[in-house]
Amino acid sequence: MIRWSAELAKRLACGDDEKRALGPLIRRFVDLSRKSKREGWQALEAEAASTDDSLLKVGLRLVLEGLSGDPLEDILATYLITADEKGWPFLRACATVEGLLSLAEGDDASLMIRKLAAYYGADRALAVLQELEGGTP
Amino acid sequence: MIKALAAHEWDRRPTGPVSRQKKDALFELACRVALISESARETGAKAFIAAARAEKRKTLRYGLDLLSEGADWERVDRSYALEPLFGELDAGSRLEIALIKSGLGSVCRLEHPNIVLRRMTAHLGAEYFDKASAWIASRRKRKRRKPLTLLVPGELPDLVRTLALDPASLERALRGAGRELSVAAMAGCAQESVDLAKGFFGPIGSGTFEDDAEFVRNRLSGDEIAQAQAAFIELVRGLEQGGELDLGTEDDFYNDPAYVNELTRAVMSLDDKSLKATFAAKDKKSLALAMQGMEPSAHDRILGLLAKRETKRLLDAIDDAAILPRREVLEAGRALAKTVIAAAEKIKGAPRDAIERFARIRDWASVGTGGAAPTGGAAAAETGVPATSVAASAPGSDRKPTGKS
Repeated sequence: MIRWSAELAKRLACGDDEKRALGPLIRRFVDLSRKSKREGWQALEAEAASTDDSLLKVGLRLVLEGLSGDPLEDILATYLITADEKGWPFLRACATVEGLLSLAEGDDASLMIRKLAAYYGADRALAVLQELEGGTP
Repeated sequence: MIKALAAHEWDRRPTGPVSRQKKDALFELACRVALISESARETGAKAFIAAARAEKRKTLRYGLDLLSEGADWERVDRSYALEPLFGELDAGSRLEIALIKSGLGSVCRLEHPNIVLRRMTAHLGAEYFDKASAWIASRRKRKRRKPLTLLVPGELPDLVRTLALDPASLERALRGAGRELSVAAMAGCAQESVDLAKGFFGPIGSGTFEDDAEFVRNRLSGDEIAQAQAAFIELVRGLEQGGELDLGTEDDFYNDPAYVNELTRAVMSLDDKSLKATFAAKDKKSLALAMQGMEPSAHDRILGLLAKRETKRLLDAIDDAAILPRREVLEAGRALAKTVIAAAEKIKGAPRDAIERFARIRDWASVGTGGAAPTGGAAAAETGVPATSVAASAPGSDRKPTGKS
C-alpha cells in the first residue's frame, strides 16, 4: 500500500494539458522496449549516447549494466529527488524512471503502457490506455 | 516507483546549493566506502574496525564505529537520525549524511562495491555518473580471478548453452529473471555459463555480475543455489511457452565430426612455413575461434609453432572467446582456410593434399553437406569433439581446461 505523502502530491501536481504531453514519452519507451527485444539491450547504448535528458541517459546506462529491481529503483529515485523538480518536469521524470524500471524488467509493451498510463491519473488513464494500445500492434 | 518516493523522508532531504569542492570531497568519500564494502564482503566486521580507525571524517566514522560494534543497519540508520550532532546541518552536511546512509545501508546488504558507489554518487547528481564509471573501470583492470568450476549439477548449464545459440533469447531470460536471480542461478555453474551470461551487461555490468556470482556461491548453500536455478529454468520455460524465446537444440552446439576431422587433418598435413605465414596474417582472436572446430592434436601443432609470447596471446584469446554454435565455428574455419590458401599461394611449395583439404573447408557449405558425417550430440561425443573443444594442454602451458574447453 502506498503511504500518502503531501510533499509528493504537491510535487506531482500539474495540469491535464501537461499530463497529455506524457504520450510521446510513453511511445518512446515502448519503442525502446521493442528495440531492446529485437536487437538486444545493448542497442539502447545509442539512445543513451544521443539523448540530452540526463536522467534517461544515466538510467539507460544503469539498465545496460544489468541493474534492476530495488537497487535500480533506489538509485533512480535518488537522482530524481536530488534534481529537486516540481510540477510537470517532476511528473515527467517519475514517468521516465517508471519506464526505465519497466525496460530493465523486460516488460512487454502492453504491461509497460499500463504502468506508465497510471501517471495520467485514474480519471484519464483508461482513455489513454485505449488510445495508446490502439497504436500497439 | 511512486511507493519509493512516497516513503522518502522529504523533510530530511538536502536543500540549497552545495559547492563543487564539497561534492568532489563526497565523491572521494563514496569511493572509500565502496572499498570498505569490498573488504566487508571478504572479511566481515573486521573491515569496519580497520576502516573506522583509518577514517578521519566524523560523519562516516560514526557509522563505521556502530557497525564495528555489531550494530545492524536499522540501528545505524536510527542513530544517525537521533544523533544531536547531525541535527541542525547546512545543505552540504545534510547531503553528506544522506550519501553516507545510502552507502552504509548498501554495505550492510553486502551489495557489490559498484552498486554501493552508484547508490552514493546518485546523491551528487548525473554529472558524477561518468566519474564513478571511470573509477569502477580503473579498479576493474587490477583484478584477476580463477575460473569458476561446476558447483551445483543440473540442467542449467546446458540450458544456458542452448539459449546462447540465439543471444537475444539468453538476454531476454536474464533480464526477465532480474540480476539477483540470474546471479544466484549462475553461481552454481562453471565459468562457461557465467561467461555466456555476463557478456550482455557491458564492461562494468559484466564485472559486477561475475564478482557477484563468485561471492554468492560462497554465501548461499547448495540448496539455495539449486532453488535459484529451478526458478530461472521455470522462468525460461514460461517465456518459451509465451513465444518470447527461441530455444535452439543442444545438438547445435556440437560440431560436425566430418568437418572437425577434415580441418584437423588439414592443419596436421600443412607445412610449418605455410602455417607460420597464416598465423602472421591472422589475428589471434579469429584463430582461437577457428580452433573450436579442431581436435586437440591440431591445437598442439598450432601452439607448438608459436613463440612463447604468441602462445600466451593465443591462449588468452581462447580464454576470452565465447563458445560458438556450430554454424559460427564453420564460418571461423572457412575464414582460416581462405587465409591459409592465400598464404600458401605466396610461399609456394605447400603440400597439395593439405591445400585441397583447406579448399574443402573453405567451401564447406553447412551441416549435412560437404560429405558431412552424421551430426548431433551422440556423434560428437563419439569423436569427443564438442564445439567448445579448445586447447587445454598446449605445449609449454600448464593451463587447465576452463569452462570453454
